[in-house]
Amino acid sequence: MNPRARLSPAALVAVTIGAAIMLAPLLWTILLSLKANSELMRDTASAFSGPYTLENYRAILVGSSVTHWLLNSLIVSLGTTAGVLILCSLAGYGFARLDFPFRRSLFVFVLLGLAIPEQAVILPRHQLFAWLHLHNSYPGLILPGLVAPFGVFFMTQYFRAIPVELDEAAMLDGASRFTLFWKVLLPLTRPAQATLGVFTFLGSWNDYWWPLISATRSARFTLTVGLASAQMNYAQTSGLGFLMAQAVFASLPILIVYIIFQKQIVAAMAGAAVR
Amino acid sequence: MTGGRRDRLAGFAFVGPFLALYAFLLIYPLFMGIGLSFHRADLFGARRFVGFENYARAFADPIAWQALWNTFKLTVLIVLPLTAITLALALALNRATRGAAIFRGIFFASSVLSVTIVTLIWRFILTPDAGLVAKIVTTLGGTPPPFLSDPNLTIPALAITTIWWSVGFPMMLFLAGLQQIPADMYEAAALDNAGPWTRLFKITLPSLRRTLILVIMLQTAAQLQLFGQAQLLTAGGPSGASRPVVLLIFEVAFGRWELGYAAALAELLFLLVLSVTFIQYWAVGRAAKEER
Amino acid sequence: MKRLRGLVAGLVLAALAGGCGTGPKKTEITLQRFFGECGAVYGHSIDVGAAEGECGIVTTLINRFQAENPDIQVDVNVVAWPGYPQLTAQIAAGDPPDLVTMHQSVISDYQGRGLLEPMDGVLGEAGIGPEAITPAGLRGVTKAGHLYGMAWDTIGGLFHVNTRLFAQAGLIKDGKPILPTSADELLVQARQFKTRTGKPYLVQSEVSDAASFVRNFYGYVMAQGGVLFADRRHSRFATPEGARVVQLFRTIEQEKLTTLNQDTPAAIASFMNGEGGIYPTGTWMIGAFDQEAKTTGRPLSGAYAVFPYPHLWGRDAAFVDGHAWVMPKRVRTAAERAAVVRFLKFMAAHNFDWTRTGHLPAFRAVYASPEFRALPHRSDIAPLAAIGVQLPGYVQRQSAIQGLLGEELTSAVTGTKPVERALRDGERRVDELLDQIP
Repeated sequence: MNPRARLSPAALVAVTIGAAIMLAPLLWTILLSLKANSELMRDTASAFSGPYTLENYRAILVGSSVTHWLLNSLIVSLGTTAGVLILCSLAGYGFARLDFPFRRSLFVFVLLGLAIPEQAVILPRHQLFAWLHLHNSYPGLILPGLVAPFGVFFMTQYFRAIPVELDEAAMLDGASRFTLFWKVLLPLTRPAQATLGVFTFLGSWNDYWWPLISATRSARFTLTVGLASAQMNYAQTSGLGFLMAQAVFASLPILIVYIIFQKQIVAAMAGAAVR
Repeated sequence: MTGGRRDRLAGFAFVGPFLALYAFLLIYPLFMGIGLSFHRADLFGARRFVGFENYARAFADPIAWQALWNTFKLTVLIVLPLTAITLALALALNRATRGAAIFRGIFFASSVLSVTIVTLIWRFILTPDAGLVAKIVTTLGGTPPPFLSDPNLTIPALAITTIWWSVGFPMMLFLAGLQQIPADMYEAAALDNAGPWTRLFKITLPSLRRTLILVIMLQTAAQLQLFGQAQLLTAGGPSGASRPVVLLIFEVAFGRWELGYAAALAELLFLLVLSVTFIQYWAVGRAAKEER
Repeated sequence: MKRLRGLVAGLVLAALAGGCGTGPKKTEITLQRFFGECGAVYGHSIDVGAAEGECGIVTTLINRFQAENPDIQVDVNVVAWPGYPQLTAQIAAGDPPDLVTMHQSVISDYQGRGLLEPMDGVLGEAGIGPEAITPAGLRGVTKAGHLYGMAWDTIGGLFHVNTRLFAQAGLIKDGKPILPTSADELLVQARQFKTRTGKPYLVQSEVSDAASFVRNFYGYVMAQGGVLFADRRHSRFATPEGARVVQLFRTIEQEKLTTLNQDTPAAIASFMNGEGGIYPTGTWMIGAFDQEAKTTGRPLSGAYAVFPYPHLWGRDAAFVDGHAWVMPKRVRTAAERAAVVRFLKFMAAHNFDWTRTGHLPAFRAVYASPEFRALPHRSDIAPLAAIGVQLPGYVQRQSAIQGLLGEELTSAVTGTKPVERALRDGERRVDELLDQIP
């Protein structure tokens, strides 16, 4: 298996068909978004031919909440990502490098969290957040995402792989624990940060159930919840083009980021497997 | 590892913030949930201890069994094809050519879309009147299959949608796994005049075993908890034929207001996920042992 | 635990208070509604008369209220129909909106648990007495002797008819479509329709639309004098009356006298494209279909009529419901309460505009008004108000019941379950739910 070898014709055909299956739904969506709603109402096949119009996109800029939901999703996803990176790096370093009572048991305690699925805690958590008046707030949307046992596990493994000699050399130079962590070790974990960051961001961006029951006011709707609320039955008949334009518009930012940083994201994703 | 009193305090300072949140937002609600499951609890307060009544109800509830069976079917119909497809893709695209890079980009692109958008797109692929499939089938003179209303087709429809959405990540895991295989193993095989299939079965697949188990493990755990696609694409219908357990939990809690019963169903699903996870950890451990 | 809770809540509140600037003093009320999101078309339009459809009219009405009351800030929350899981989550979170659109059939769920404010006082301040409201509306919002909502309309199922196809099928007499007078006659006419036009007699949304099956079932069981709920804990679906209704729709399905496998959007499109004779759906589609009928060059141009469900058994009866504005229980300042009063007063005054959707008015004065009578088709559907019946007031959890029963009816009609078993399963599941009500 030579990595530089060309694909066999049969494999190339198969992969091309697969790619077509991946792309066709996206192209169909874009075509629908470029058609007048009234034409689509009569027959969606009209999307295969012109005339095409940007009217639906103009309508988004005039009076759709999509931009607002996008902003909320961005705040929540970035907030969650930053929080996870900070908390998991700190904890990962602590578990990997420091000696303190119950270190092993506490680590095992965290690992147990890997097996706790969201639906086992989501109903009581909804009640808990009600008592704390945290619903319909950014903290309410961000906090649950910060509990990432996998992130702690992942960072701990990464810190463990860094030679201890580095620590000792730095300590001899009189660096404090925190300086050592902040100045010497943390920069070395950048690839791991990227992997965990991409993971967390996508997870948070796509989260649906928690925002569905916590962000119940449109001012705090995230993209997933907002678009779900806009998919009314009748909207699918009379405003299909507009609905699709919203979907395209909402996907664009993250698709563009993905295309620009594809190499880094792919490398970051791959990092998860090599632990 | 250096010790000392300062280190002890420092240790807690580093792990403390995470542990506090972890205990408060995961462990505490977990026990709250277990407690709730033993109560006849209404969403709006009224609460009475009933022991195992909710669990007994779940075992006698045909709807719960139907949801469990649906979840099982969905998991199998998603995890197996997804694993096979993504493994094949990784094998095909593990090359340094520009074309392979573009293909990798295409196959990963759907992963960045959110569930609401994925289901909206697929509704207008699958729906028998306005969907893309219908338009193509009708042009060819056929009758479009009623993907979203035939009880035999809704689960496959959810599976197809989910596979389309999820190919990116497992493919990346396999690609990463492939890059870990030392090139000299293949060189040795080439000296032995081993054919491509022999190399695949004797070198590539055995070396990928851990990645394979990891992919299956992550996907199984994820698909056992499938929710958004079912809620948005089929609403669990027709007549519950595509309703997975998590959607049932959501409906019982926020539609029927029976918080205690919903909590009991959630705990049962938790046990299921837990046992699957442990079986798979055990499998990973065994695989690792054999590798040595 | 309690102290911790208080502490954290205090901190969060402090943070929130610090975060909010001190802007001009506007009274803020949150209003939650379904009917869809159409800001893209109606944006900030206040031209109510030019708006079409539920979404357009309600959007422009709220915009107009906002424009006329600059001292009030109305935050509108649009939820996916019917929005009850979200409302439930909001109430459970202790943060419900100030005003919510609610089906009258659902009021008793929330009222029964003490989650709604009685609105006699508020309505009185808005100058809306019970005598102003139609009997159907009044029945819908009166629970335990109090008004728990401001009735806004009466809605129900109707037969929307494509008269061009009916003519083609030979089912027109004196310029009016011939509708059946019994179940057997319905089948005969449906078969004739299908032979002559090559198209199905009915257009139905059967996918993800529990409401439509349930509407047919409730209406025709009640027409036969059947009892659907014996008391607040017991349903009765597996009755000869029930089986007869389901069997009729099963036969229609078996003989393919209806469109198959359509969800609501598909069914609407089908009817507008002239692909079937009758679309049994609600009052809410009159506006949109009439618009199609008035536009030239459309399949429905000049070929649309609408009637109450035909009398097939026993007496005239139709299951009706209505929308209402309700106030979830929460702490409100005097200013907020005053804002709510002004909003209700405004909405009551514009009840006519809302009836352009096709819904029947909730206010007697609108019925009597010449402008309402001048709306198309209203004399044809007027009987609906008289023959409309609702479920007994003691039936709680009607929205959840509709979901459970709808699933079983779908199974029976599409043939995945025998009729008898589906009805018994429906009974069992609904009784289980009713048994859980505290």
